[in-house]
Amino acid sequence: MNKRLLGIAEQALFATVVFVLILLAFADRLAVPVWLQPIGRMHPLFLHFPIVILLLTLVMEVFRFRPVRAGQTAETVSAYRQFLDALLLVGTLSAGLTVVMGLFLATEDDYSGTTLQWHKWSGVGVFLVAAFIYWARQKRWYNAPLARVGGLVGIVCLVGAGHYGATLTHGDNFLFEPLSRQAEPERVPLEQALVYDHLVQPIFEQKCVSCHNPGKLKGGLNLTHLAAVQKGGKSGKLYVSGRPDISLLLQRIHLPLEEKKHMPPIGKSQLTPQEAKLLALWIKGRAQTNGRVADLPATDSLRIIAAGFLAPSVSVESFDFDEPDEDMVRQLNTDYRTVARLANGSPALAVNLYNRANYAPDQLTDLSPVREQVVSLSLNKLPVKDADLKELSQFENLQKLDLNFTDITGKALEQLTPLKQLKTLALAGTSVRYEDLVAPLKAFKNLQTVALWNTRLTSAQIAQLQKSYGNVRFIAGFNGAAAEPIRLNPPQLKNASPIFTGSTQVDIRHPVRGVQIRYTTDGSEPDSLRSPILTAQTTISQPTQIKARAFKAGWYGSSTATFDYYRRTYKPDSLRLLLPFNPVHQANGPQSFFDGILGTFNANSPAWANNWLGFRKNEMALLSRFAKPVTISSVALRIMVEEETSIFPPGEVEIWGGPSPNELKRLATVKPRQPGGKEPHTLQTVTCSFGPQAVSWLKIVAHPLKQIPAWHPNKGNQALLLVDEIFIN
Amino acid sequence: MENEILEHGFNFNRRRFLSRLSLGLGSAALGSLLIPDLFGGSGTDDETLPVGVPHFAPKAKRVIYLFQNGAPSQQELFDYKPKLREMTGQELPPSVRGKQRLTGMTANQKEFPMVGSFVDFNQYGQSRAWVSDLFPYTAKIVDDLCIIKSMYTEAINHDPALTFLQTGSQQGNRPSMGSWLSYGLGNENKNLPNFTVLLSRGIGNGQGVYSKLWSNGFLDSIHQGVQFSKGEDPVLYLRDPDGMSREERRAMLDNLAQLNDLSYQSFGDPEIMAKVKQYEMAYRMQTAVPEVMDLSKESDDIIKLYGPDCLVPGTFAANCLLARKLSENGVRFVQLYHQGWDQHGNLPFEIAKQAKDVDQASAALVTDLKQRGLLDETLVIWGGEFGRTSYTQGKLTKDNYGRDHHPRCFTIWMAGGGIKPGMVYGETDDVGYNIIQNPVHVHDFQATVLHQLGLNHEKLIFKHLGRRYRLTDVSGNVVHDIIA
Repeated sequence: MNKRLLGIAEQALFATVVFVLILLAFADRLAVPVWLQPIGRMHPLFLHFPIVILLLTLVMEVFRFRPVRAGQTAETVSAYRQFLDALLLVGTLSAGLTVVMGLFLATEDDYSGTTLQWHKWSGVGVFLVAAFIYWARQKRWYNAPLARVGGLVGIVCLVGAGHYGATLTHGDNFLFEPLSRQAEPERVPLEQALVYDHLVQPIFEQKCVSCHNPGKLKGGLNLTHLAAVQKGGKSGKLYVSGRPDISLLLQRIHLPLEEKKHMPPIGKSQLTPQEAKLLALWIKGRAQTNGRVADLPATDSLRIIAAGFLAPSVSVESFDFDEPDEDMVRQLNTDYRTVARLANGSPALAVNLYNRANYAPDQLTDLSPVREQVVSLSLNKLPVKDADLKELSQFENLQKLDLNFTDITGKALEQLTPLKQLKTLALAGTSVRYEDLVAPLKAFKNLQTVALWNTRLTSAQIAQLQKSYGNVRFIAGFNGAAAEPIRLNPPQLKNASPIFTGSTQVDIRHPVRGVQIRYTTDGSEPDSLRSPILTAQTTISQPTQIKARAFKAGWYGSSTATFDYYRRTYKPDSLRLLLPFNPVHQANGPQSFFDGILGTFNANSPAWANNWLGFRKNEMALLSRFAKPVTISSVALRIMVEEETSIFPPGEVEIWGGPSPNELKRLATVKPRQPGGKEPHTLQTVTCSFGPQAVSWLKIVAHPLKQIPAWHPNKGNQALLLVDEIFIN
Repeated sequence: MENEILEHGFNFNRRRFLSRLSLGLGSAALGSLLIPDLFGGSGTDDETLPVGVPHFAPKAKRVIYLFQNGAPSQQELFDYKPKLREMTGQELPPSVRGKQRLTGMTANQKEFPMVGSFVDFNQYGQSRAWVSDLFPYTAKIVDDLCIIKSMYTEAINHDPALTFLQTGSQQGNRPSMGSWLSYGLGNENKNLPNFTVLLSRGIGNGQGVYSKLWSNGFLDSIHQGVQFSKGEDPVLYLRDPDGMSREERRAMLDNLAQLNDLSYQSFGDPEIMAKVKQYEMAYRMQTAVPEVMDLSKESDDIIKLYGPDCLVPGTFAANCLLARKLSENGVRFVQLYHQGWDQHGNLPFEIAKQAKDVDQASAALVTDLKQRGLLDETLVIWGGEFGRTSYTQGKLTKDNYGRDHHPRCFTIWMAGGGIKPGMVYGETDDVGYNIIQNPVHVHDFQATVLHQLGLNHEKLIFKHLGRRYRLTDVSGNVVHDIIA
């Protein structure tokens, strides 16, 4: 071979290797210009060269180191090797070219998936192995085993690449398809799907036709096309239109699996429950042969099940109007009017108007430069009048119009009939009537949804509309009057604080309009008849527990709410705890006793512990001073009792009072009742009453329960005492 | 001689090297002609995709996310497991648990007795979906719902799991889903924040909800979630102080904007302009918010629909009603959190109360949106941060048990916004421990939500600290099966 030519060819081979590696490394970002695509498409033609040449060469390579046989001269051996050299170079180069072409072709959309990957990498493998052999065989270390291994690997890759390439071109399982013919059903979007062609027939194709085809005709039945399906088999017609229960097809499907006549026979792939259901619904719906799935009502069972079988709907919608003027769109956007593109690159616009006070009809007329492009318009809750609808009727491409709670009446709806594209019309909360709708609805051929909640239409009228327009979904919404009554929520305390001085109005209210609140003060349950009604004049002047319930016609009465009112006449001017408290519950120090903020349950959770002052090791000993002597007759402690967490009432409470800290005398001692186990958690008041006494200094001592009673798991331990407020009267 | 040979060898090699190099480079250059962005750096398309416009036509325009914080037990609500009920008291087979890591709360437990639901289930609607008796109202609307029983997550504790669901990362400091949507879609109503947050708390064991969950992360702070509180002022400090007129406020804002503009000119900090925008929005919110938050004009029908608690500020029902009002007024993302679903113990008692708190109002929200024709364009999501175990935490007694955290499967539902109605998606095994069909990872869920809003989750990118961030991090596949 010409030395020069050989050099060029070798250089070309090296360049091709680099080029291929680059293409492989960035394969996912490869963008082949249109004019190069024909090169890629020559791949299926060109690939035959490397297959033949390389196959030949590689086989020869395997036997390259065979010992020289009798009759062979050195020249013939050398010529053989040189010929092999040249052949390998040509084969490798053609393989390289094929790989490059293949990589170009792979960028076109039609190819993807694992087969492509296998093909690609085995093809690349052929090329690289061949290139490696070509390079290595000039080295001294290249020997017979290496030649054999290299040759065999190359051949395996070559066969693999060829096979997967054929699979790509001729389809999956091309080679063995005749042995196992089973077609994958194509997935059609719901909008385009036909009930028979795209739902029923594919089930037959997948599960039945391998036996029931013109070639096999088991039971004389052919299920490959509609006419044959309608004809039935030896045992008779397959189905009775409208009667799945007596149709042979379903009987066979539902026979027990081990039954001989069960179809598909045991061992074959069975119908899924969904498929069986689908066939039943198809027969029930009179086995229609050319109906569209999309024509079925949205709530139709067949349609709902069909959705699972069909491809997701095509969401890309193209519009045949021009792009709006970008500057105009920007200009039309104000604080109260949003004009936004439906999507990047879409000419369609969505317009939303807000703020009742700012609305004027010219906000719609302003839109006239873009009215061709507006496909969605929301005027929710704006004072839109009938007269404005005339303007709206010029938005010819409008698909969605929200007129909820506008001031329109039904009379003007006729004005909207030029809106041929309208799909969704929201009229909730307007004063449209049945008569206003019947005629204009005919004009909207594309209508899908009409919201009619809270209009003057009765549910019977809406049902009537639904009957006349099967394809439109009419939404009646929730009707409170027709719904079952439900229970009111309990009334709520609105007093700033349930702690009062002197007397207070009982400010208990309920958020629902027209509710009556009845109450009791004696601890009994209020009822809807005898208990007094709470009014603005209801006042109390003593600590009181009020139980209240709310009542309203059409509702069940509320559960009972209990409100404790506390009276506090005096507040000490200064106070001090003589012994430290339990560090877990420190609230806001002794000030918490008089801050008017009540604690609630769940005191062991840090978030709620804030208002409780706790005592366990030490007793609570509070010394307080009044600047002017006060006459008192009771001291009350608000405490929590929660046996489960060892929070108990104090074992004993002592009240001491006098003119100075050194002249205190005991005014009262109280031993509160202790819980007996399994009692609900409560917030209690421990009151110590005594004869009226003038004091300047007051000492309150409360001893936490020394020993928790024997029934408790923590028996014998010291209990925790929690106090949040103290009331001195 | 020796040297010459060596020299020759060197020269030869250098020449060879250079010629080969030029060849190689030439090939690489040829290749680069076909790979437009080979030397231009990758992922330049985030700069070219406009922000604030959907990438493709959206099915949904707004989201209301009813987050059930604390992780509601799927076994008692949606994932009906008759087999598990039969096997109550038996030890969970180790093969089912596999190498599942456990929380510190049950890791030391000696036995793992399985426990079935204490409450019965029934099938409802045309979809015949199973719903527990704890959810009578939700049961009535199953034909509007897509119940996904095969959600799973990576975190096993509340805060990371919650953060993961909201921001796509367990660690926090990333933008929340609402912020991403605000960034990706822009405002619909310029008088209200794009992303609002409403909190409520049930009686059950509560878990923390922190403002980091509605943080804008590294996005512009105009995308931050605005928390509406339950008091008299839903948005704190929004009202003008007494004696200040609207005109004065306007003049003050104009002057302030000029000052801010000056400092922006000298510093160039974009946060200054974000602040100016927020002042302006706050000014408009002064009239828009009271109008939206006013519940006094809601009809008796609506009160009956949501339940009377919807008039008690701070309840879940009230927040659902507000969510509808905000969404109806163009708020892109309304995030509710209802705390108290963490039933480690005392489950039967607590979950019944929790369910009662949310059942009627959640269903009412879907019905209410539907009757206004808004459900098609509003995506409602209901669910927690993970599921609960099939075995009991603590002692199993006749009428009481608890369940620990379980990231391997949990149930959520979605409604509206172009999601298939009347569908139950995914399946768990007989004891409700592992997913056996159609698993949906949190990132898949997030990708699907973005997809419904017209956003490609792989293209909604923000470059920060030298790398590009996504809500779905580096994974996530849109679940096409549940898209109508």
